[in-house]
Amino acid sequence: MVLLKTIFCCIELLVFSIIAGLLGSLTGLGGGTVLVPLLTLFLGIPIAYAAGASLISTIATSSGAASAYIRDKITNVRIGMGLEIATTTGSIVGSLTAAFIYSHGLAWIVYVVFGIVILTSIIPTAQRGKYEIPDPRPPDWTTKVFKLYGSYYDEAIKTEVKYWGVRWWLGELIMFFAGFISGLLGIGSGALKVLGMDWAMNLPMKVSTTTSNFMIGVTAATGSALYWYFGYIQPMMAAVTAIGVLIGAMSGTKILVRITNKQVRWVFLAILAFLGMEMLLKGLYMDHIITIPVATQYALSLIFTAIVMSLLYYRYGVLARKPNREGVVMGGGNA
Amino acid sequence: MPRWDMDYIIGLTLRYGVIISIALILIGIVLFHVKGEALGCSENLVMSPTSPINTTVIPPGYALSRLPYLDPLSFVILGLMVLIATPVLRVALGVASFAMERDWLYVLITTVVFINLMLAIFILPSIMHLHANYQLLRILCPQR
Repeated sequence: MVLLKTIFCCIELLVFSIIAGLLGSLTGLGGGTVLVPLLTLFLGIPIAYAAGASLISTIATSSGAASAYIRDKITNVRIGMGLEIATTTGSIVGSLTAAFIYSHGLAWIVYVVFGIVILTSIIPTAQRGKYEIPDPRPPDWTTKVFKLYGSYYDEAIKTEVKYWGVRWWLGELIMFFAGFISGLLGIGSGALKVLGMDWAMNLPMKVSTTTSNFMIGVTAATGSALYWYFGYIQPMMAAVTAIGVLIGAMSGTKILVRITNKQVRWVFLAILAFLGMEMLLKGLYMDHIITIPVATQYALSLIFTAIVMSLLYYRYGVLARKPNREGVVMGGGNA
Repeated sequence: MPRWDMDYIIGLTLRYGVIISIALILIGIVLFHVKGEALGCSENLVMSPTSPINTTVIPPGYALSRLPYLDPLSFVILGLMVLIATPVLRVALGVASFAMERDWLYVLITTVVFINLMLAIFILPSIMHLHANYQLLRILCPQR
């Protein structure tokens, strides 16, 4: 009977981790962003343990994927390493902040920040794919000093793409914030890292995503070392989730290649919107800022998800597919 | 046709780091289901979502010393340590790789990243006196 119960618990945890890894890789946000809400909202796991398990599984998926990318030579190791100064520093500050928050019983802050981070990363994810190769900006002094030049072979357009990064200092600033969020919430915060390289440093999307993935492992290792000492890592839980997320992420990459109908991603985004809203409401509920029953919270999150998703779908899904309508194409892109 | 350049070595390190750690973790989980206890703690206590058996009550040295006795948590802890060590090793190899290219600015940058990692893994915890509490483990799980 006891054994049966343990196996049941393990399988439950494993299934949720596989789902998180799958959704994380299909949306491109990484396993942790989905894992923490799933574990805290549906399995009643304390958020500190969920965050610890998430950081551990983030290292596994990042290192696993990075070993493949390095051979393709798309990852820019120089840019990645340079920015890691900021992400590891940010992660140390973020983990110490998390320790302060948890030791003072302020876990609701983590829920609220988590909700906000998920909700704000939905929009860039919805319009992803627009700037495949950015318009070149003139190189600035950081381009020369930090050797931010690079090139890679693009399979899709069959050409060697040459690029260079600009505004290294702005990239560092955003990466510090990304590292801070990673340490605070126990996620890889890949979306923020891509923002730093894509928008701030004007790098091609392919370079940003693979380099960000390379950086996530080192950032998460920094955070999880401190989490280890603070006791946020429950070994058995971290073990099961790491394996689950890895399985999910690997199958996600395989599925992603086969998905021809890009409309499916709206379903994934809807799940994210729901999880984000739930985390936000739960955080506010914990601090008694709002006092609505849990069932109503779920209902509110569902309504919110429906509204936001129909708006986003209309904006980036429907309008973007009508290329002859001027004025709407600017934010759209290939959905 | 593998070329033994630094990128290839780094790629191998990352891949085998993950494979070894996942293998160790899997052995730990299987042992756990066979034995039904770990480090003297009952199955329920170890698996409970709010379990007090976390990294603050398991001194790494003690966990590793139980490896020859095939203790499930020892294998899991070692697997998690290998997993965390993999990116650290990757950064160390990065320093060597930039040194071979004689790119001193990036040797410096990568060294700073490495120092940050050491700060998080060894220096800060020792400054803050964060040590695992073995006594607490024995109170939670009296040895049978």
